[in-house]
Amino acid sequence: MSQKEDPNPFDPTGMFKSMRDAGMDAWSKMMIQLINSEAYARASGTMLDAWLTSSAPFRKAIESTMTQVLTQLNMPIRTDVTSLAERLTHIELRLDDLEAKLDERSQPAPKAATGKSKETGT
Amino acid sequence: MTTMPRTLKPADLYRKLEHIAENAKTWNRLMTTKAAIAQTPKELIWTLNKAKLYHYIPVVPADQRHRIPLLMVFAIMNRPHVLDLRPGHSFVEYMLKHGYDLYLLDWGAPSPEDRGMKFDDYVLDYLPRAIRKLKRVSGSDEFSMLGWCLGALITTLYGALRPDDGLKNLLLLTAPLDFSDKQAGGFIRWTSERSFNADKLIETFGNMPGEMIDYGAKALKPVENYIGNYLNLWSNIDNPKVVESWHAMNTWVTDIIPMAGATYRQLINEFYKENRLMNGTLTLRGEHVDLSKLRANLLNVIAEADHITPPCQSEGVMEKVGSRDKALYHIQGGHIGIMAGSGAEKRTWPHIEAWLADRSD
Repeated sequence: MSQKEDPNPFDPTGMFKSMRDAGMDAWSKMMIQLINSEAYARASGTMLDAWLTSSAPFRKAIESTMTQVLTQLNMPIRTDVTSLAERLTHIELRLDDLEAKLDERSQPAPKAATGKSKETGT
Repeated sequence: MTTMPRTLKPADLYRKLEHIAENAKTWNRLMTTKAAIAQTPKELIWTLNKAKLYHYIPVVPADQRHRIPLLMVFAIMNRPHVLDLRPGHSFVEYMLKHGYDLYLLDWGAPSPEDRGMKFDDYVLDYLPRAIRKLKRVSGSDEFSMLGWCLGALITTLYGALRPDDGLKNLLLLTAPLDFSDKQAGGFIRWTSERSFNADKLIETFGNMPGEMIDYGAKALKPVENYIGNYLNLWSNIDNPKVVESWHAMNTWVTDIIPMAGATYRQLINEFYKENRLMNGTLTLRGEHVDLSKLRANLLNVIAEADHITPPCQSEGVMEKVGSRDKALYHIQGGHIGIMAGSGAEKRTWPHIEAWLADRSD
């Protein structure tokens, strides 16, 4: 952070800096008040909602066109890829369960919680 | 006493211009390169989908280490590297030096196929499995957890739903848990607005884009984040310590990731708008989340100047939890500053370490 010092009256840069800092502080406080106001919350919410609503038909049109084109070209569409990835995650979950079961069989159970020394963790 | 400035000679002017050119080069480097962050040696011990569990290589001999391992769980909309920001200024380094067996759960960045992931999945699928692995690797059936921001929310939910799973100590940092005060801060004001429709956002984007989350966080203090941050850097650009610290933090801040769509929707609707956790009406996969069932020793760390999670969003949980050993700790600083700022090593880390040390053997 910059240090605040008494400005040298013969140093125009120093004077400019202190004026800038004071201006920034005031501006910052004003902006924080503004973004924390009910009016800002309402305005930003309304604008976001309007944008999402107005862009939805275009987005849907692009999506359906893309789906049709990819299907015509015998290419996988987005949902094909994502469903494949979801299936892979399910397989990972099963593998994780299997690994845990193998761990239980191959190693002794973890040490009891109480009254043990610090010799763990390696 | 002030002196009149000397007449500027051509040689002085040349030196000044050279100096400005050097500063401009430094500026260019900071804006166009990434700092080396998260450098502490660690090994990957478990993965599931995008989530990864890391074990940090201990630096203290086994007989001097604390018996109970510590698992760190960071938020789901940022990378967890801020816990290990840079060599010489890293919470991970600090805790390793103090003899902790340390683990980090990195949630990773969700992809389109993860848009349906909810808190239910993080709390009941991912976290228990990572803990199972931690127990296996550490050899300890007990463990401590440190959750930060939404990581604190996830660890709290886990502690309440699985109180008998060996969670001994729970450290919460800037935990957003109580949304009863609808005037407390920008986020809750924006999201409480009727026209703010999380369902429509997620229907449009699938996952909540990282850019929008980043904008939301920065817009809470727009002048500081968009202008003051850079002016301060320029004012201190001759100071290598400040410059490298800024570079590391900027590298972390600009590495933005999306948030799984269903999790975002749940966060806004069930937590921010309906405050279900504190009202006692929250269920995850049909299981009722009862905070009184959370019995782990609890340290709740609150940042006094937190504009993202105002203190009132963290304090209310203290009277709801069933923990007998519980403490609230207020620290001067912001949401990230209390753990990653220049004063963290003197104020926050020692307090966390001392509290945990008394309960980790």
